Amino acid sequence: MKNGMSVLLSRIATPTRVGRRDFIIVAALAAIAFVVPYVAGTYQQEVGFRILQLGALAAAWNIAAGYTGLVSLGSAAFFGLGVYTMALASNAGLPIVLCMILAAVVAGLFALIVSPALFRLRGLYFTVGTLALAEALRIFVVNSPWFGGQAGIFLTARAPKAFELYWIALAIAVLVIVCVLVLLRSRWSYRMQAVRDDEDVASQLGVRTYRTKLWAFGLSGALIAIVGSVQALNQGIVQPNGGFGISWTIEIVSVAIIGGMGTKVGPWIGAVFIVLLGEFLIQFPEIHMAVVGVVLVLVIRFMPNGIWGTFTLALQKERNFS
Amino acid sequence: MNSIDPVGLTNTVLGGALLGGLIALSAVGLSLVLGVMKLVNLVHGQIVVLGAYMAYYLSAFWGISPLLALPIVFVLGFLFMAPVQRFILAPVARHGEEAGLLTTFALAIILENLFIRIFSGDSRSLDTIFSRETIAIGPINLPTIYLIGFGISLAVCLAVWALVTRTSFGRSLRASSEDPISAAIVGIHVSRIRWGTFALNGGLSAIGGVLIALCFSFTPSSGSEYLLTAFAIIVLGGLGNIMGTFVGGIALGIFQSLGAYFFGDGYRTFVGLVMLIVLLAIAPNGILNRRRSL
Repeated sequence: MKNGMSVLLSRIATPTRVGRRDFIIVAALAAIAFVVPYVAGTYQQEVGFRILQLGALAAAWNIAAGYTGLVSLGSAAFFGLGVYTMALASNAGLPIVLCMILAAVVAGLFALIVSPALFRLRGLYFTVGTLALAEALRIFVVNSPWFGGQAGIFLTARAPKAFELYWIALAIAVLVIVCVLVLLRSRWSYRMQAVRDDEDVASQLGVRTYRTKLWAFGLSGALIAIVGSVQALNQGIVQPNGGFGISWTIEIVSVAIIGGMGTKVGPWIGAVFIVLLGEFLIQFPEIHMAVVGVVLVLVIRFMPNGIWGTFTLALQKERNFS
Repeated sequence: MNSIDPVGLTNTVLGGALLGGLIALSAVGLSLVLGVMKLVNLVHGQIVVLGAYMAYYLSAFWGISPLLALPIVFVLGFLFMAPVQRFILAPVARHGEEAGLLTTFALAIILENLFIRIFSGDSRSLDTIFSRETIAIGPINLPTIYLIGFGISLAVCLAVWALVTRTSFGRSLRASSEDPISAAIVGIHVSRIRWGTFALNGGLSAIGGVLIALCFSFTPSSGSEYLLTAFAIIVLGGLGNIMGTFVGGIALGIFQSLGAYFFGDGYRTFVGLVMLIVLLAIAPNGILNRRRSL
């Protein structure tokens, strides 16, 4: 990505200093979110679940795309792996938490297996490669005899109630946030951002680019798979077009870009925006997605740093002047 | 599938080759845009679908046969894509290459959902008087429509090849592709060339969509499959190499039909996708390519 030092990805919100304050804020917000089921009804819990789910997905995608420059359109592959791992493992009688861990492991292994081919691709070609990979995996699951084909697999585990799902999603959201914050505090974040801004220069400076990309891609995929495994519990039945459907990729990418790529808070802002817009247009799902597309075009053009990135930039300017 | 039947296999391979050549037309425009604008046009698949719907409604409302509708569809596709480049893509070009890519991704989302809304999610297909006919050459039976489509695709590819290599527009296009800044310095209107290339992609993809719809049924959501197939063809044939794209299409068609023959029809697209990933990894400039540029 030599000449591609894109505005969309680099600079601004980059020097993210993560301090103890961030962890305290997360803990406080999580505590507030925890009591929601006691005061709100099932509908609010379901909307909350959607926000936490999409926010966690976009924040996980952001690790690879926003910080490391691996703009993947293959998120549906990892999501689907999580969905199917949960279905197969929980039907085999494993406890739910173990199934989630297994989903992460499967996704990490998958990232490891495909990385030799994918990481030879730079920039736009990487993006196309991931898109092809996700579609290939979907078609494979549809046609292969082991995964129940188009009809899918029913989960035998007890369907969780709305508040249980909400709490599971909250726990996973906290997990994702903590992963991102810890990552941003570590040296890894510098390596990742160096790879994003110029892979060749980073490599010259002694960054092991392949390993850095693999960790970022694998962690991102593993977290996406964990969220996917919860979606299997939510649905009670897993199907290739639901699990591996490109609509997941579309939602993840839209949420992250609208909120702000490469920012800590952006994905969550984007999730709130898209879920609330979806509730507003609940009668017209196609119109909802078309509007999301229009918003995406406008955001990329006029606010390339997303809602949160633009907001923090404005705040910084204000501070510099005063 | 115990023993391989030679006649059946020949039939499959020939049919696949014809089909591949036919599908190649839909990849030519994508290849031009990638070569000239260094832009991965993710809305390509939806334009292919749009072309199919145009032909469908031209035939449903005015009874225009899809084959006769090809010039109309070309013009409509051209006119549809011209303002997209001028007013939507050109302004974000300064934000870097991801911005263009993700903008076309957003356009794909918009179009696909509008298609579902306007045309409904039903599967549709185009019919001509040739649709159910076959031509027999000895023991080999080939659908007439494959032959006609192959011929049209070959003719259009030759025309585009002549446009790119034999005209002044083509010379400017090649110059803009190789080095846009130098091209601008010697007086080539690079942004106009890009605009023309993108619009041309619209027209070519739209008629490519008509040809595909003559052979397979389509839905509003077929776009991503068409996009990835077109990509596999480009990578096989070499970026920006027009006749290479045509040959790449034939090669992909043969591989896909062999995949469908040996593993079952569901694996037709799968074979193409796996090939795309493997080829991208081992030979990102294409295996048929001798020169990198147009």
